[in-house]
Amino acid sequence: MAELEESPASAPARPMSGSRLRVATLPLVARIPPRVRSRLAVGLLALAALLFPLLHANDADIDSAANALAFAALALGLNIVVGFAGLLDLGYAAFFAIGAYAYGAAASFQLQPEWSSFWEPFHWLDLVARLPGPAGGDVVHFQVSFWLMLPISAALAALFGVLFGAPTLRLKGDYLAIVTLGFGEIVPIVARNMPAVTNGAMGLNGVAAPQLFGYSFGISATPYYYVGVGLVALLIVTSLRLKESRIGRAWMAIREDEIAAAAMGVNRVRYKLLAFAIGAAFAGATGTFYVAKLQTATPEMFMFPVSVMVLVMIVFGGIGSVWGVVVGALLLQMLQSWFLEDLSQWLHGLGRLIDVAWLRHVELASSIELIFGVILVVMMLYRRQGLIPATRPMPALSLDQQAAQIQRGGFATLPVISPQPSPETGSLLAISGLTVSFGGLVALREVGLVVPRHGVVAVIGPNGSGKSTLFNAVTGLVTPDRGSVVMAGREIVGLPPHRVLECGIARTFQNLRLFPNLTVLENVMIGMHARLASGAAGALLRLPRTRREEEEARERALAILALFGNRLVPRAEHLASSLSYANRRRTEIARALASNPTLLLLDEPTAGMNPAETLELAEQIKSLNNSGLTIVLIEHKLDVVVSLADQVVVLDHGEKIAEGRPETVRNDEEVIRAYLGRSAAFA
Amino acid sequence: MTETGVLLQQVVNGLSLGAMYALLAIGFTLVYGILELINFAHFNVFMVASFIGMWALQLLGISGQSRVLTGLALAGSLGFAFVVTMAAAGVIGVVIERVSLRPLRGVPGTAGMITTIGVSYILFNVILLTVGAGSENYPNPLPVHRWQLGQVVVELKEVLIWAVSLILMAGLHIFVSRTRLGKAMRATAQDAEAARMMGVDVDRVVVTAFFLGSALAGAAALIFGLYYNYTSFIIGYTAGLRAFTAAVLGGIGSIPGAMVGGLLIGLIETLGGQLIAVRWTDVIIFSILVLVLVFVPAGLFGRAAPTKS
Amino acid sequence: MNATAPLLEFKGVDTHYGDLHVLKSVDYRIEAGEIVCLLGGNASGKSTTMKTIMGIVRPSRGEVFYEGRPLSGVSTAERVRRGIAPVLEARRLFPRMTVYENLEMGAYTRPRGPEFQQDLERVFALFPRVKERLQQLAGTLSGGEQQMVAIGRALMAHPKLLCMDEPSMGLSPAYVEQVFDIVQEINRQGTTIFMVEQNANMALQIAHRAYVLQTGQVVLSGPSSQLRQNEQIRQAYLGEMTVAPV
Repeated sequence: MAELEESPASAPARPMSGSRLRVATLPLVARIPPRVRSRLAVGLLALAALLFPLLHANDADIDSAANALAFAALALGLNIVVGFAGLLDLGYAAFFAIGAYAYGAAASFQLQPEWSSFWEPFHWLDLVARLPGPAGGDVVHFQVSFWLMLPISAALAALFGVLFGAPTLRLKGDYLAIVTLGFGEIVPIVARNMPAVTNGAMGLNGVAAPQLFGYSFGISATPYYYVGVGLVALLIVTSLRLKESRIGRAWMAIREDEIAAAAMGVNRVRYKLLAFAIGAAFAGATGTFYVAKLQTATPEMFMFPVSVMVLVMIVFGGIGSVWGVVVGALLLQMLQSWFLEDLSQWLHGLGRLIDVAWLRHVELASSIELIFGVILVVMMLYRRQGLIPATRPMPALSLDQQAAQIQRGGFATLPVISPQPSPETGSLLAISGLTVSFGGLVALREVGLVVPRHGVVAVIGPNGSGKSTLFNAVTGLVTPDRGSVVMAGREIVGLPPHRVLECGIARTFQNLRLFPNLTVLENVMIGMHARLASGAAGALLRLPRTRREEEEARERALAILALFGNRLVPRAEHLASSLSYANRRRTEIARALASNPTLLLLDEPTAGMNPAETLELAEQIKSLNNSGLTIVLIEHKLDVVVSLADQVVVLDHGEKIAEGRPETVRNDEEVIRAYLGRSAAFA
Repeated sequence: MTETGVLLQQVVNGLSLGAMYALLAIGFTLVYGILELINFAHFNVFMVASFIGMWALQLLGISGQSRVLTGLALAGSLGFAFVVTMAAAGVIGVVIERVSLRPLRGVPGTAGMITTIGVSYILFNVILLTVGAGSENYPNPLPVHRWQLGQVVVELKEVLIWAVSLILMAGLHIFVSRTRLGKAMRATAQDAEAARMMGVDVDRVVVTAFFLGSALAGAAALIFGLYYNYTSFIIGYTAGLRAFTAAVLGGIGSIPGAMVGGLLIGLIETLGGQLIAVRWTDVIIFSILVLVLVFVPAGLFGRAAPTKS
Repeated sequence: MNATAPLLEFKGVDTHYGDLHVLKSVDYRIEAGEIVCLLGGNASGKSTTMKTIMGIVRPSRGEVFYEGRPLSGVSTAERVRRGIAPVLEARRLFPRMTVYENLEMGAYTRPRGPEFQQDLERVFALFPRVKERLQQLAGTLSGGEQQMVAIGRALMAHPKLLCMDEPSMGLSPAYVEQVFDIVQEINRQGTTIFMVEQNANMALQIAHRAYVLQTGQVVLSGPSSQLRQNEQIRQAYLGEMTVAPV
């Protein structure tokens, strides 16, 4: 079973994890280490789930519980899409329907094509049976096993997820929501309008019950309940393991800031599609489970209200929180099938007692959707993080840590930064004729620039002169109209941002684009995305290779943080949004370094820093350069420029107006004019 | 009737539906233009308003289609119904904004949209639980007048729909292009912070957008009732999605876009129903929604693609 | 109104964006009739200062006084009505409205009437080019023309205090000179000016006094003539004032 801890539980530098659980106030419980405690809690939960039908042998209640588990499984799937990747899907029930109809069609009497030799191999595999048809000839009866259909439905739904997602996932969040709503609407309509396959609005009937070792599940609720428990447990483990993997980090990076994620090497389209496909797969498998349990399927079972209900569950439990959405789903199902019924009965009794007619007939269960609406509004207004939030607030630094002497750290000996020291000289980056325009406005005009290997080039110029646009054009965030950018002999104009990073170019942003709701350590580990290799299989199975890679990545990230002395290390588990301006800049540089670049683009790295901090960072940049990294920086502070740069390029109005050694450029007539306007010199 | 005649007749029908969708689409566009929020509550503001219109007409003693009025009595009763419905819908819109959306102003992400889904659900279920699930026979005092124009028949109710829609849209156009508050609304849609720095009370602009959008939804709701002679708790969903598609097709944020988009969706609905099959109408319209968003995200009149960073 | 009070005064103002501490116990004092310049690098708190004056950002500590009265709780609209008008960073015109409509938006808090016409004439006198472009959409103007409209728009509020956020940004040198000439002219006509600038030398030539802001703190202030002689500023004239606290 997985740990209850959702955020990196094994981080070495987590000083105060124990105090986060309320139970810590109980002295006995507090003595158990948190890791053991969470395993214990999960174990108890699993035991309770397994014993429930034995302790409470009421078939109707077990049936309700099995339904609740189906919705918990749906909530887990939608949570991957909405909670992890931040894509609001309002048509999620469509994938549920696809999984349901897939099994419905493959294990019922709905489809009965005429028998031909084509079906022989399927017959031999026991997937179909040969039955005498009503019109004389033999017909095919599909009888695919439930257990085989579970993964097939998942794969089929995932396929639909990819087909639907590929063109639409580029859309901005709320547009995506409306498109998914449309898709969620189309699927039941298609189901209704294709009676040959689905029996239309009447619904499929006689869907076969699953069998296990020759024993048919029939209509008893208990076996379905155990299948539900197994399904939910599997999906919980899958969710938790994905969340803590490279894939989960990439999803959260996209959710937090798509642009920064792309610039850090995350292929946005691929990871969004993956989230969509995995979420759809969860729903597909659940659809098969659900339809096998009900042994019928009608279009009404998969309409908009179902999508909304699952959304309400994850909003209630906590968007992005694996345990939260399970609890949310179970609680709302219990509310619906037990609590409201009981309350209605109780009110009927009260009505009879005090002789009030409407109380005797009130049916609270019919107002469940009203309650859902109220839950959505109230949660959004007062508790957006849900019952069990996905991220917990980190404790502030202790007084000791706050009072600790600042250790500045340094880059002089950097085992972690190892840009393949190349004997080559000459240019690393060569830009020529680069022109960028927005609408009619030309932001860059025919800019050329050569960055020598191991050099430091400073780009200066007044605000609005096109400096950041230059960085954006090089890193693929804006597409230039014309021109060429050659990195290490390779043309990179036209490459998407994540490919540019893979070419060895990492950057920081003038306006700071950290992932605000992720920790400092997670931010840096996302920087490593392109350097790590593990995929979904590795994450799910916790292969030794993946675990080793994760462990090494974490250690390397901490080592990179340690380059800044004790400024970031004590804050490794803090959210990026809690950092000071200077520490945000440092974290962005650490994140960029984590990708092991050969070329580092720094956009005003010292903005917002005081002179002492500026000096410290300038020294650190210098030692980075000494260790072999090539650097281009945008900077306004002249002393930083003079002390770091071998070469200065001056932009004004999108044009390069001067270029040369710092001291030469400083006395250049045109530069002085650009900066100073009419009178060239002071006094 | 010849085949051309049938199609022309569907064009007439489509223009009537389109006028209704256009009025409804304006509400999406006004709010989106200012807050970049898709307001799902708008669907069911429309639905609730159709009931308010029904009650307003019933208050005048009109029920069903049996009691036909003419002349001043007809104009007066319809005028009363429109004013009451539009005012009430406008107030509902304002209350929704004040209570559930203003506290979330500036919260990034999808919180606002999720809230509007919740509000929409509440409105839907309040009507379902109080009025019931049946469909209501809509009071309609309009006499049945038909004019044969060549191959098509035009009814009095259609002329009324076109006239009301034209008047309301012209009024809206004058409001946003001539009045101080209307200009403030356009300025806020273009650059909210700059508008605020000019002294524009952005809260007031937002409330105005909600009021106007909801009031126009109210007019659309009454038109729906008079056109189809029924209403029910479920009408908001389909009509709302079609109107939203109209807003997207026209370019969300653009008022003329919403008008043109509405007419196009009305025509697509009736002609598509005629040429293909009514049961596929929703699939056609959603396909248009998806295709427009994917390939022409700015719509017909839109200025900015909705893929901002 | 207090006759001896400065037109605008910051007393110990702190501001926060979430956990980020931006302005740190800042004091400014701007007398009526002055041109005061605020110098500093990116992310030093200059734009936050402007937003605090306009009431877009609220101080977490300290108080801003205008004409001797505290501004806390006063809406942005009321601030404009009392005579504070902004020229926003990067101009920020309403691109799909005409130049005339943009000017109208500047006068949003003012009644239509003869005063509006007078203000309009004043803008036309300062910027004859603006008059030629009245019916053009603002988004189609050149950068320099947009800056003229932006200043004109602020003047339509008939301000006592004009707050300008980097008026030289993105303008060619010729336009920068023109803009600074006009700023001086506006000041001569009686409007107090508080101007954020990166272009230190130009700004110091027209300003009476200046403040230097660094990481949210005022590290230097004084008459322009004095600051122009300051060795540290002279050395750092290319941009950010990296001066040690005085």
